[in-house]
Amino acid sequence: MIAAMAYEHIQVEIEPPIATVTLNRPKVLNALSPALIQEMTGALASLDADESVQAVVLTGGPKVFAAGADIGDMADRSAVEQLTRDQTGRWGPLAGFTKPLIAAVNGYALGGGCEVALMCDLIVAGETARFGQPEINLGIIPGAGGTQRWPRTAGKYAAMEVMLTGAPVTAQRAYELGIVNRVVPAEMTIPLAKRFARQIAEKPPLAARLAKEAVLKAFEAPLAEGLASERKSFYFLFATEDQREGMHAFLEKRKGVFKGR
Amino acid sequence: MATEVEEHVKAHTHDGIGLIRFNRPEKMNAIGALTRQQLAEAIKQAERDDAVRVVVLTGSGRAFCSGADVTEMAQGAGMRTPEDVGNVLRNEYMPMLTRLRTMPKPVIAALNGPAVGIGASFALACDIRIGTPESYLLEAFVNIGLAPDGGVSWLLPRLAGTGIAYEMFFTGKPLSASDAHRLGVINRIVPADRLEEEVRELAAQLAAQPRGALAGAKRAVNHALESSFEQALEFESYLQEAQAASPEFAEGVQNFLARRAAKK
Repeated sequence: MIAAMAYEHIQVEIEPPIATVTLNRPKVLNALSPALIQEMTGALASLDADESVQAVVLTGGPKVFAAGADIGDMADRSAVEQLTRDQTGRWGPLAGFTKPLIAAVNGYALGGGCEVALMCDLIVAGETARFGQPEINLGIIPGAGGTQRWPRTAGKYAAMEVMLTGAPVTAQRAYELGIVNRVVPAEMTIPLAKRFARQIAEKPPLAARLAKEAVLKAFEAPLAEGLASERKSFYFLFATEDQREGMHAFLEKRKGVFKGR
Repeated sequence: MATEVEEHVKAHTHDGIGLIRFNRPEKMNAIGALTRQQLAEAIKQAERDDAVRVVVLTGSGRAFCSGADVTEMAQGAGMRTPEDVGNVLRNEYMPMLTRLRTMPKPVIAALNGPAVGIGASFALACDIRIGTPESYLLEAFVNIGLAPDGGVSWLLPRLAGTGIAYEMFFTGKPLSASDAHRLGVINRIVPADRLEEEVRELAAQLAAQPRGALAGAKRAVNHALESSFEQALEFESYLQEAQAASPEFAEGVQNFLARRAAKK
């Protein structure tokens, strides 16, 4: 069963228990226009609430992930306009998405496009993928988390090189830097991301949600606080039906059936 | 009167074969600034053009390619400072050599004569080499006080082994066609007057093969050269999964079954 919803700049395909969001402005290399961002974040917000969906793939299709913001739209804006529109602050539904989110990246993931990928939980990259923050070439810096998420995953020195030279890194290099889970032939990027999504969607949803939350907490909190929070989530899961089912299924050597309760 | 631009590199496509020919026979096909520019364009076009299913790189006259145009270097046309040397390697040769090695179609070097210096790099960056008794490979860098470049520090040890590579780099002495053939650096040696035809036959044969399958073989080998056995196995399995979904596979299986039925 595939349900498609009507959008102008993106495509949303729901194949329970997974969904795929495809940025769909190939003519402009999926430039992240305000309208596209609005559609994407809107779609994510509704997928987060959709009980039939347990994991989501975010992709730009076979050729390009997203080559950055819509520069034409930005070139002559004032600081005040940028602040009041706060385009880069509108990623809440993506950064705060509670279900596992898998980026399938082919071709360029540049600027905002790269930052979108870094907001996902897993990244599958095709051989053609290129990750970069070329903002410096335009006299600005990344504005959707690039300067913060790069060093937290790839470390200070790789992050500095990417930010200061503006030169993108290859899929293989990104893999070595630890910002990519797998590098595969480009035509396998989306199928593999969907496979990851299905594999994860079979897991008890509450455990997946709290596991994601706990890992993300590691980037925010001091160790003691992260550990305390992890422990609470760990204990909490013993209040769920899925924990009973999971453990009994394990003891009875059968596959668990999970309900997200 | 319009000034005619010299054609240092000739490129044309026929029956799926993209032929790229060094065309400065009077200079033993030495590579100067103009050559680099035309060669880069020819290689880029050969990669992009879907009508090109196999690429053949060869020279005109007695040499395959005698390397960088040292006369031009000494005169400083675009390659004067040490930094310029580095920039030409990084910005011009690197993309060309990378493209030859990674473009998703076979690239054959038809070694009609010596391949020297960066000329040897171009020969070694191809997927397959066919030579004549007059072919040889020469890493001439040491003879003018330079270290190897153009990817040979990576290519030659892999193709010939480190011992042979070091000997060539240290002595600046040529690797003969017969030695290169014995080591597997040159796939086969044919009489000079047969080279063109033998290469055309091989190229035509490859042009008729399923292109995705050939592209897959090249991607797999390139990936494997930079990965562990386990990673190579994993990459192959994804590659094969993609290829198994292609019409090439469906057609290949049909043809196989039809051939077997016909034999019965």
